[in-house]
Amino acid sequence: MPIVELHHVRKAYDTKIAVADLSFSIEPGSMFGLLGPNGSGKTSSIRMMIGITVPDSGTVSLFGQPFQRSLLHRIGYLPEERGLYKKMKVMDQLIFFGQLRGIDAATAGKRAHAWCEKLGISQSIHKKTEELSKGMQQKIQFISTLLHEPELIIMDEPFSGLDPVNATLLQDTLVDLRQQGRTILFSTHRMDQVEKLCDSICLIHNSHLVLSGSMRDIKSRYPVNHVRMNFTGNDSFLQHPAIAAAKNYSGHAEITLHNGADAQLLLAAAVQSGACITRFELMEPTLEDIFIEVVGGKVDA
Amino acid sequence: MHNIWLIAKREYLERIRTKAFLIATILIPLFMGVFVFGSGYLSSRTKSSAHIAIVSSDATFAADLKQELQTGKSSGMTVDLIHPSASGSDATRASLDTNLHGKSGDLTGYLWVTAPTQAGARPTFSYVPRSAGDITTEDTLSTAIKNVLTREGLTHQGMGASDIDALMAPVAIDTSKTGDSRAAFGAAYLLFFLMYMVIMLYGMNTARSIIEEKTSRVFEVMLSTIKPDEMLAGKILGVGAVGLTQIGVWMLAAAVLGSTSLATGLIGSGHAFISSVQIFFFVAYFIFGFLVYSSIAAALGAVTNSEQELQQLNMFLVVPLAFCFLMIFVIVKAPNSTLAQIVSLIPFCSPLLMNFRISLTTVPPWQIGLSFVLMSLTILAILWVASRIYRVGILMYGKKPSLPEILRWLKYS
Repeated sequence: MPIVELHHVRKAYDTKIAVADLSFSIEPGSMFGLLGPNGSGKTSSIRMMIGITVPDSGTVSLFGQPFQRSLLHRIGYLPEERGLYKKMKVMDQLIFFGQLRGIDAATAGKRAHAWCEKLGISQSIHKKTEELSKGMQQKIQFISTLLHEPELIIMDEPFSGLDPVNATLLQDTLVDLRQQGRTILFSTHRMDQVEKLCDSICLIHNSHLVLSGSMRDIKSRYPVNHVRMNFTGNDSFLQHPAIAAAKNYSGHAEITLHNGADAQLLLAAAVQSGACITRFELMEPTLEDIFIEVVGGKVDA
Repeated sequence: MHNIWLIAKREYLERIRTKAFLIATILIPLFMGVFVFGSGYLSSRTKSSAHIAIVSSDATFAADLKQELQTGKSSGMTVDLIHPSASGSDATRASLDTNLHGKSGDLTGYLWVTAPTQAGARPTFSYVPRSAGDITTEDTLSTAIKNVLTREGLTHQGMGASDIDALMAPVAIDTSKTGDSRAAFGAAYLLFFLMYMVIMLYGMNTARSIIEEKTSRVFEVMLSTIKPDEMLAGKILGVGAVGLTQIGVWMLAAAVLGSTSLATGLIGSGHAFISSVQIFFFVAYFIFGFLVYSSIAAALGAVTNSEQELQQLNMFLVVPLAFCFLMIFVIVKAPNSTLAQIVSLIPFCSPLLMNFRISLTTVPPWQIGLSFVLMSLTILAILWVASRIYRVGILMYGKKPSLPEILRWLKYS
């Protein structure tokens, strides 16, 4: 039973089509990445999943049932546009949001304290929200989405605007949550994050679905024909017949091989030509490579 | 229901803890009281203390006028008498003009009395003031001259001075049955102003609170668990409860102060300053008035993105309230005239004007009932529209929507 299932969902605002015929499903306990450049329809799709807007056509199912508002208590949602009451104290704010999502004040308070401890902001809980840094506010918002222990966590661009330390902290937290059996959906335009974290993805571009499926499936559809090399000396081996395309950034080469070509032959040729090789790596294509290949580089962000 | 309660509770607690609430609670009635009673006190108690010169060849008349102006009921002027020299009346006038136009001059103005050309006719008067807008001195002068002329005329008819004094003594009207009419008017006026202030203040607060959520993008989190209608309802109830609390504090203070001997001494009669009936209707009309105006304000808040944009639209709140302001002068004079009855039944005006009439006179119960029915219908209609605008508007940021766009929102939702 998929946790979220979108079936031919379509949404248009006046003349602009935000989402066109989008279908995908998210399996329980997985980390799902919704990918796409800016303005491709990620936020519009998410808003329809949680009933902020209603699709023009198509259906949304949650937890195996057709969409209904009573299911929203099982979801935690972090919008892209962060919003907190500026004048409210952090703890009051967290308890308020907890209560809105159906848990009582005492439980909300207890969980909020535990979370603040975990994310290292417990010294700020009695301050007003507007006195905190943006990163801290983002952590508070992050906590407020998780207080009611939702089965499905939906986060729109959760890592944007965070420094690397805090981004990693939140990533690790998401990984922990997935291990506890929660289902997580997050949207991003950063392919490297998805590559590292997600079990399956859905890639949209210009409001159309471009790719979807599990990360393994998608990658196995593309041949392992990328080579990264670091070398010094003679670069004449870059003319080798096995190479379909090569870029040489003064000693760091990104090479695409012809389908079926043997990378070992290239390595041998390079050694023979007298280049001194410090790194030779045969890689599967990155998500970014796949994305560029699929949409053909016409990303108008 | 639980969600509405949570939203309302948050709104209420956050607002009531602010310093602004405390300041408004103390300052608004203080300011209103000073304004209403202060202006009344000033106009009734202050005597005109101008320094004027009277130029007259009739010494008796001039002396009488001086007496009237210096010790009369409503004036305590300083008066110089000048007898125009037969040779140079122009010279006298010139020196007076110099005094008036010079910075060091101490005259407020001068009165030139020209003796009548034939016996028995009235003299002619011309007054030259320092300030062209000095109406008070002019009025005082004209009243004083009339009094002096009347006295002179009566003396001519052969009446004794004591008879004349008795005839011209001020009349006392006994209003102890209805209370001092001045105090009654003051109270009605004070309640009108308070109502105007709280409806305006809390209407705008509703709009501001919506804009705050829009600019801080909080509502998107909220909408993932609750419905826009619940948010709107909670917000209006929360802000309204703050208003009611404020009014409660005021009315309690009025009741406590009104029962003290100090207040009785100030008003000078045994009647309570503000009656419990007035308090009851004030609260009832506030609730309905607030609902009317805050639902308009909610719609305004939903279509705007910032306080500045709201300022441009707040005429929708101000214009009906200002209209009520104009109407109080009609209603004070004839609270049961047809015009007064009609305007006080207009739902946008009832909270102010019907309540004002209730303070002044006995309003037929059916009119009071009808005003509440009409207000309820208006509130339902406005809320229907406002909630639709709100539902769409809170998700729109950026450009301010045009009227056709807003109409399309009504159809969407």
